[in-house]
Parts: sequence; structure tokens; C-alpha cells
Amino acid sequence: MFAHAPARRHRSFPSTPTAPARRAGLSLVAVTLATLTAACGGGSDDAGESVTVYTGRHYGIEGVFDEFTAATGIDVRFTTGSDPELRERLLAEGDNTPADLVMTADAANIELASEAGLLASVESETLTSAIPSELRSADNTWFALSRRLRVIMYSTERVSDPPSTYAALGDSRWSGKLCLRPSTHPYTQSLVASLILNLGDDEALRVVESWVANDPLYINSDTDILKAIAAGDCDVALTNTYYLPRLLADDPAFPVAISWPDQDSTGAHLNVSAAGVTKSAPNREAAIRLLEWLATTGQSTFSDANFEYPADPGVTPASALTAFDEFVADLAAVRELGRLNPRAVEVLSAAGYE
Amino acid sequence: MTATLPSFATRRSLPGWVSIVALTALVASPVIVVVSSILDPTESMWSELWATRLPGMIRDTITLALAVVGGSLVLGTGLAWLVTAYEFPARRVITWLLVTPLAVPGYVAGFVWLDTLSGPLGARGVRSIWLCAAALVITLYPYVFLFARASFKAQGADARDAARTLGVGPTRAFFRVALPMARPALAAGSALVLMEVLTDIGTVRLFNVSTVADGVMRVWFGTGDRGAAAELACLLVVSAATLIALERGLRRGARFSTRPTENPTSPITLSPGSRFGILAACIAVIIVAVALPIVRLTNWALDARRSGTDRTVAGGVWHHTSSSLVLVVATCLTCMVGGITIALLARRRGSLGRLLSRLASLGYAMPGPVVAVGALITLAAFDRTGFVPNGVVLIGSFAGLVFALSTRFMAVAFQGIDAGLDRVAPSAVASARMLGARASRVAWSVELPAARTSIIAATALLTVDLMKELPITLLLRPFGFDSLSVWVWQATSESLWEQAAVPSLVMVAVGMLAVGALLAALDRGAEVTS
Repeated sequence: MFAHAPARRHRSFPSTPTAPARRAGLSLVAVTLATLTAACGGGSDDAGESVTVYTGRHYGIEGVFDEFTAATGIDVRFTTGSDPELRERLLAEGDNTPADLVMTADAANIELASEAGLLASVESETLTSAIPSELRSADNTWFALSRRLRVIMYSTERVSDPPSTYAALGDSRWSGKLCLRPSTHPYTQSLVASLILNLGDDEALRVVESWVANDPLYINSDTDILKAIAAGDCDVALTNTYYLPRLLADDPAFPVAISWPDQDSTGAHLNVSAAGVTKSAPNREAAIRLLEWLATTGQSTFSDANFEYPADPGVTPASALTAFDEFVADLAAVRELGRLNPRAVEVLSAAGYE
Repeated sequence: MTATLPSFATRRSLPGWVSIVALTALVASPVIVVVSSILDPTESMWSELWATRLPGMIRDTITLALAVVGGSLVLGTGLAWLVTAYEFPARRVITWLLVTPLAVPGYVAGFVWLDTLSGPLGARGVRSIWLCAAALVITLYPYVFLFARASFKAQGADARDAARTLGVGPTRAFFRVALPMARPALAAGSALVLMEVLTDIGTVRLFNVSTVADGVMRVWFGTGDRGAAAELACLLVVSAATLIALERGLRRGARFSTRPTENPTSPITLSPGSRFGILAACIAVIIVAVALPIVRLTNWALDARRSGTDRTVAGGVWHHTSSSLVLVVATCLTCMVGGITIALLARRRGSLGRLLSRLASLGYAMPGPVVAVGALITLAAFDRTGFVPNGVVLIGSFAGLVFALSTRFMAVAFQGIDAGLDRVAPSAVASARMLGARASRVAWSVELPAARTSIIAATALLTVDLMKELPITLLLRPFGFDSLSVWVWQATSESLWEQAAVPSLVMVAVGMLAVGALLAALDRGAEVTS
């Protein structure tokens, strides 16, 4: 790499490293070994009960885990990452996995984990009574913990009659004024999967093509999409609802509002944050307790930390959300999002969606 | 080894062969694991990709690579010439600052620039391949700068003086003499820049540029098809290897004396006006490449402190900084021991040894996430065989993480050490062997001391790379082990730029110190020759 660094003159009688240099080298090695031993020994070998979570959802989860530990005495350790990469890790680890619970930010990813045989069925009266049947898998391998809706956002300054359906975003009046998240993101894939379910492959493709024909601006961040609407870079966009209350908390006059789509037909696209117990969970009982706790006592803390809607319809959402209108959500699609994910990726690709 | 000297590569050194083959296999295993999924080719993926995204991905990759390598060559070479050929105030500090952009991770520079330019250019205008290229140039040009500067310094004054005696002005002397002589160095620097561009994922995604590396991630995590993603990753590696081989082929015959100069270049002192001009040019680059990102990050850090959101991440700054530092030290040591072993063993074993050492460098030519998953599969295989007793698993262990990082960055250690060993006089090694010293003793008391500065330089460069590393650490870190880059990722994946500012600043600060050590090591090597 430094082949062309200034050449040293070759010495005919090479010297050995000087004594101080050698001592410095040795002490460096000693310090490092000490640090390593400390770092390796730092693993939790506590006698207490614990549960290990792999989570693709990494915003505001410490709070709810701390509450669980305070209430039950069970320690929660977790590692974050992207959903597909955590799935690869689970697949590679197989029976050796330390993970007891898997948590994802998206319905398709938890279903793909279930299809890959990574999740175990959990029979729990507590879970089945708290979580509606549309929001958990048929074989009870995963349970939704919060509802996340992907809706039309529009500028309150420039748009007086916002589009009321996903398909209407393809209307030519939004040409050059539409912001979308790239097709690499699971939220986009799941939304298109729900279009495929509700409209069929051909019509879904036509809708996505009409969006692409409007030369959308692709931004890989829902927050930045909302900011782009406020800045005038686009007039309408698709984002999840919870990003808006975050921005409204900073600036109550933030000039963006929700238009609930498809209210006369299938309802707004509903996605979920979900969790399931792994097949080889070393602490299965503790994992089920955490899952049950998140689905009941922890519902408000879990959902409110991120302005999401609780999965249990009996739990009142955060007060910031009550300011939004009543809406119809597409409950029927949630369990199908994983199965339709590969077709959604194909449709996005065929339509030229970036 | 030269033909005139007796070769001491013994036929008896079977343990040596076993060590190098085993070590190479271990280091290359993550890449081999991923690449071996090619054995079952997926034709449907290619026809689908070719009909949709692949042509665009290839076009964007080539455009971006040309723009970034071209831009880095112009900026890096030009600045290197200014700091070696001319005398101006604060020359040493300026030289250091010109290398510090290396300390700014691409994904941090990316979001700083995206946010800064969104104002004047709009969210649509800022997402362009050219601005992406510009953001990459100002973080990557120091690779070219380092190599070009070293080459200009090593050329000495003789060639330049000869040109000047023949009536050539200083500018023409640069284009007619210094630049052609520096060609191998510029090629080496460009190769590093090219590698970084081809494997970058963070920056290109921010700017909506869909390169082949981005396509690998797209295919992998969009369809879950590891085999198809691996095939695409191989396209990347093969094209990188071809480009570098092509350049080496073109360079053949154009060898330049690298004999140490007896007459080092003394910088020319220009008129005050010109001195000021040079200083202003250097400072302008430093402002754009380093000062502006740091000011922006500092503002964000203060905002986060004011709004109280700087404490939302568990553990605080020291927890993350110490995690990063422990990881850097452990991985540097591993890479150095591995790199030294491979370099020493490979150079005694002819072309097969060279081939093995190339194989051990493959991880550096792959996008980080690909190596991460490859390492994951390798570690899982070890875990299944019960390789480590007492039910301890390697995945998610500190040792497993260090292993994975070492497979990616071994190339940095190996190349640096190998270059240092190149400068050990074969006659010194031969003399020591003739006096009866064993190969290991020669390595310890002749070769390694002579390669000392190169080893320090490689360690510094490794430190800079490791501080910035994200995908492997993210996937394989132990529980409760959160590096600075993981903190940045957690904040930026939610677009919470303010919260990413503090860890970014710490990363940049550590990287800047390492860059200083790198320069000092390079300069110390130079001093010995004068």
C-alpha cells in the first residue's frame, strides 16, 4: 500500500528495535490483552432470569424494556439491526441462537421469518384475547404489537383537495410534485403488496407505473419526505403517520396534513410492528412473558413512544393521535404482506420504481 | 529476491506452507462462502435484472467511478504538488489537515452535505450523481494525495533540476517530469479510491445513485436471494480486479528508479503573493472537506444538547467511544500479526505465495455487508461443529467480531507491511542467512525493524478505516457492545441527524489523530534517507 512511500536507505547492519521501543510495544500488548479480557468477561452470566431480543425496530424500545424489567425482574438484552440482516443472523445461528424473541418494524419481515421456520407457535390466551386475529399469524408464530399506517401526506399551504386514494397519486396533476420512499424499503414493498391483494397484479402495476410517470422524488426517510413537503419540494407524498406528530411536537404549525386513503373501499394501508418467539429460544418462558407484557400492560408505552396506534383496539392511542380523524384501516391485508412481498418487489421493478 | 543472490527459501519449510495456506483460507473464508453460492447460478435473476435495473446500475457505477477517481486524481495530485514543491506558511499543519478528510466517514459527510445543500438546491436538485461524486471526492482524495506526496518527495530534486537546466519552467517540469514519474504512485492511490467507490453503499443511497453495490443489497434484501446477490457482488470484484490488472499491464515497461534520493527536494520559496495564493487554495479545500462538516456537526450536537435528545442513546459517549477503541486496538493487533505472517511467508514462496496473499486481500474488494454475512455463515459453521468448547458461540462474541473485521481489513495491514518489506535490501537478508540466522530470526531482527515505519503507517490507516466501519460491527457485535458507528446508524436510520452529531464528532477526532500518526510515520521514513 505504501509501495511508493519514500524509500529508506538500506542498512548493511540492521539494528534490532531499541529497548525503550520494545518495552513500549510490550506494554501496548499488555494493555490490550487486559482490555480484551475485560471485554470478553463482560458478558452477562448473571444468575437472574433474562430474555434476549433481536429487534429491527430500534426507536424508543429501551423505555418499555426497562419497565418490563422493573415489573418482573427479568433482564432484557437486545441487539438492533435491519430486519433482513437479523433474519440472516438467525438463519446462520440455527439451534445455537441466543435470541428468544424477534421483533420487526414490518409485517412482511416477521412473516418471512416465520416462513423460514425461525419462529415457534405460542398458545397464549392472554395474547389471543389482546391481539385481534387479523393482526397475528394463523399459526400464532407472530403477534402485532402496534399499528403503523402508511398514508397520503399533503401540503396544507398548496393543496386544497388532496388525493383520496393511493391510485389518485398517479393523476398527472401531481407530476413533479410527488415524493416517495425508494423500493428498497420494506414499507414501500408492503404498501405495494397490499395493492396487489386489493387490486390484482395488473391493476397494481398500472397504479405504480402511474406514480413513476409523475417523476417522483425518491427520499429514503419519511421524516425528510415530510420536511420536503414543508420546504416546497413536493406537494403530496406517502409516509407512515407517526413521523408527523414528531414534527408537530417541534412546530405545531408544521404545514403538512394527512389524507386518509381508500376510505370508501379497503381502507388505509395498515402495517404492524410485530414479534415472535424463536424456535430455539433458550428462555422460552421469559420470552412469552415479555411478549404477553408488550401486548397488554406495555401496549401504551410501546406504542406511544413512537406515536403509533396500539395493536389492541381496546387501548387508547397517544393523545397526539386523537387530533387526527377517525379512519378505516385495511386490516384484512396484514397477514398477506409477507406472502406477497416477492411479487411486490417484482411489480416495483417492472414499473421502473427506483 | 534477486537472482544474483542465493535464495534461502527452503524446501523443508513445510510448516510455513501449512501456516500460510491455513491463514489464507481462514481470512478468505467469508468471501469464499459468499462466492461459492455461484456454483448454483440463477439465470432468471440475470435476465430480469438485465431487462430492468442492471444497465442503469452499470452506467451509474462507471460514471461515478470515473468522476470520483478523476476528481480525486486532480485534487490529490495538485495539492500534493503544492505542499511538496513550494514553501508557504504553516505547511506542515496544512499537510496534516489536507489528509484529515479520511477521518470523516462517507455516510457522515453524505448526510451533512445532503442537508446543507438541500437548502439552496432543493431536495430534488441535491440528489444527483454529480454531487454524490463531489461528496466522495472530498472524502477520498487524500488517498491519492498521500501517494502522490510520497512520490514527489522521493523523486528528489535531481530530475527537476535536470529539467530546469534544459530550460523547462516549474509548471512544465511538473507535467513533463514529476507527474510521469509519479504515475505508479497515482495508480496505487486511484486503486484505493476505486475500491472505496465500488463498495460504497451509505453515500450512494443518500444521493439516490443506484450502483452495482447498491444492487447487491437490493437483490439480497429485496428478494432474500443470497446466491443472486453473490453473483452480482462477483461482477463487482471481477471488474475491480480487471481494472487494476489492466493498469498494471499498461504500466509495465514504465519502471522508475525508486532508489532513495541523495538530493531531496527543497520546496521553492515563491513571492508573497503566490505563497498566499497556495495557502488560500489549500485552506479552501480544508474548509469544504473538514471544517464545514465539523461546524455543522457541532451545531447539531449543541441542538441535541439544548433539546435534551443527546441522552436518548443508552450508555452515553464514553461507553460507545471505549467500545470503538477496544475494537480498533484488538482488530489492529490481529490484522498486524496476520498481515506480518502472511507477508513474511508469502514473499519466500514465489508466485504461489503471491497468489495466496492476494486471496487473503479479497475481503477489501467486497461491500462491507457482503463480508458481514459471509463471516456470519463462516462463524456459524464453526459454532455448529462445537469448535469452541463449553457451549460458547462465536457469533455475537467479541472474538467473532474481531475475526470478521480482520477478514475485511487484512489487506490494509498486509499491503502496508509488504511494501515496507520490499524496501529491505535482499543483501541484508542474505547476509544474515549466510551468517547462520534462521528465517524467523532474520524476520525479527532484520526485516521487521526495517519495515517499522510502514507498519506504523498501516496501523494508522487501519485505525481510520476501523473507526468508520459499520455493517460488520452492526451485524456481529456482542450484546451491549455499541460502537460509535452503531450509534450514528441508529440515529440516522430514523433521520435524527442531531443525535448522530456527537458520535460522528468523536469518530472524526480519533480519525484525525490517527491521520497525524500516519503522516508522522511516513515522514520519519523519509528522514532516514536524507
